[in-house]
Amino acid sequence: MKFETPPPHGGRLVYNVVEDRDKAAKMVEGLPCVDIKPTLDPAGTPIRNVYREIMSIAYGFFSPLDRFMTRNEVERVLEERRLLDGWIFPYPIVLDLSDDDLKAAGVKEGDGLCLRLKGRPFAVVERIEEIYRVEDKKTFADRVFGTPERNKEVVRKRFDEKHPGWLIYRQLQPNFVAGRVYVVNPPKFRQPYDRFWYPPQKSREYIRQKGWTIVVAHQTRNVPHRGHEALMKHALFVAGATRPGDAVLVNAIIGAKRPGDYLDEAILEAHEALNKFGYFHPDRHVVTMTLWDMRYGNPLESLLHAVIRQNLGCTHHMFGRDHAAVGDYYDPYATQILWTKGLPSYGLNEPPHEADKGFKILPVNLGEFAYSPKADEITYYGSDLDKPLVGDKPEKFSGSFIRGIIMEGLRPPPIIMRPEVFDVIVKWWKVYGYPFVTDRYLKLKEEQLEVEL
Amino acid sequence: MTYKFALVLDEKRLERIKGSPLESLIKSSFGGRVKTLDFEVPEDVAKRILSEFPAARVDSRGYIEDVPVAFRKAVFEAVAKHKSTGREVWDEVFSRLEEIKQMAAKEKEYLPPPE
Repeated sequence: MKFETPPPHGGRLVYNVVEDRDKAAKMVEGLPCVDIKPTLDPAGTPIRNVYREIMSIAYGFFSPLDRFMTRNEVERVLEERRLLDGWIFPYPIVLDLSDDDLKAAGVKEGDGLCLRLKGRPFAVVERIEEIYRVEDKKTFADRVFGTPERNKEVVRKRFDEKHPGWLIYRQLQPNFVAGRVYVVNPPKFRQPYDRFWYPPQKSREYIRQKGWTIVVAHQTRNVPHRGHEALMKHALFVAGATRPGDAVLVNAIIGAKRPGDYLDEAILEAHEALNKFGYFHPDRHVVTMTLWDMRYGNPLESLLHAVIRQNLGCTHHMFGRDHAAVGDYYDPYATQILWTKGLPSYGLNEPPHEADKGFKILPVNLGEFAYSPKADEITYYGSDLDKPLVGDKPEKFSGSFIRGIIMEGLRPPPIIMRPEVFDVIVKWWKVYGYPFVTDRYLKLKEEQLEVEL
Repeated sequence: MTYKFALVLDEKRLERIKGSPLESLIKSSFGGRVKTLDFEVPEDVAKRILSEFPAARVDSRGYIEDVPVAFRKAVFEAVAKHKSTGREVWDEVFSRLEEIKQMAAKEKEYLPPPE
């Protein structure tokens, strides 16, 4: 089977970035402005900044979405996981304003609105299509993620405040402003983010230059342990990789994460360490990033990942156990169920790559990799329902167990984590005084963001 | 559901439980590269740990993870003192809960990195 770079989701790459300074100045001129403010948890810790969504819309990561959604579009997403034009999309993407900010801006439907970031004009909603209110955010958040009653196939327990994605939607401001959004002041990325910024146009050009035909996307919010590394390498072969035209494209989600997750800087540089120190050849492995405050929505998040990675030019996407999950809200294999059978309760009656206006990117569904004491190697374990490849009981990699080792200041053995990966963790631990995301890190991150204007 | 807890054992910790009945609970994994003291946790204790520490969770293997380092250290100290993993260990740990929580709060500000 011959593969080629798939078209963008929806057929067209969005590029709502105004690089011409004069044109940008004209777009901003005379518009009322509001400062972009973070979404806060009940304790006042930032858990989302909509600037990341603006960047992902404007640079085409979310193509064909080029706008903040109207009420009708939000409803269609919640009922069928599709945009108004029919293309699959998992989450409501909304610009939420407080009553005070909306009043201060004094805007109405049909007006333009300037959005300031770090005190400077950053983006523009060219023409407000609709301003609407959502009062009951708890119900809204439940509708975003699902409930055990309504989504029996995969939801195992009711979402609550401990779920970081559910909390984001619960904490939104009540006024939603819909309309096409443009970045009018393209920001510069701070180090180390700058070297991992491959928006869709650049990513597609990079793939073309490298001559890759099969590109398997790897979603990450983690530094890689050996199980992740094995997953990446084996996914290539499952995808039918034929050298020399195959590679892994790691796409890290950068943004506010739940306390206990790895630091964004460490995630990027730890994956980079794999190709820097010979565990991957740099001609067959690239590390990139997407700005997004993770919603940890397991099957729903996998749909967003498909949107992003197809737009980046990937032919395949690997999905493992507990994909983009936290806690036990979803079935651990909810993403695989979605990509093999569909999830009718979410409006997806067939696998999303077989659906009309679905995806061209293809799933590579894999179970777990684990350590086999008998073979003294990392082996494919599959799922608890499978028989493992080896004749003994493999030992699973547990991310949280590894975090426990790290927190006690112990270097994990190389069979668990490459030493260079641990060195990256320690490098950023020394910068922030802690190896994982904390409220303090989230507050500092909100002050600095990933960009300068 | 069976809840479990694992304490990673370095040489110093191994020395402290040497010769005690706890040695039978030592689990060697990853080809002997990692040694842990593995034991079951009563359900009421597990639920209390999860409620006292918001980041704590039960992983896919049934182990309670993502607890503060101060909590782990307190559990090991109690285990080493009583040479047991029974109820008395948890009674002692929970009697120090406020102190452990204060130390855990400081951890979030600064946890010394390894050299």
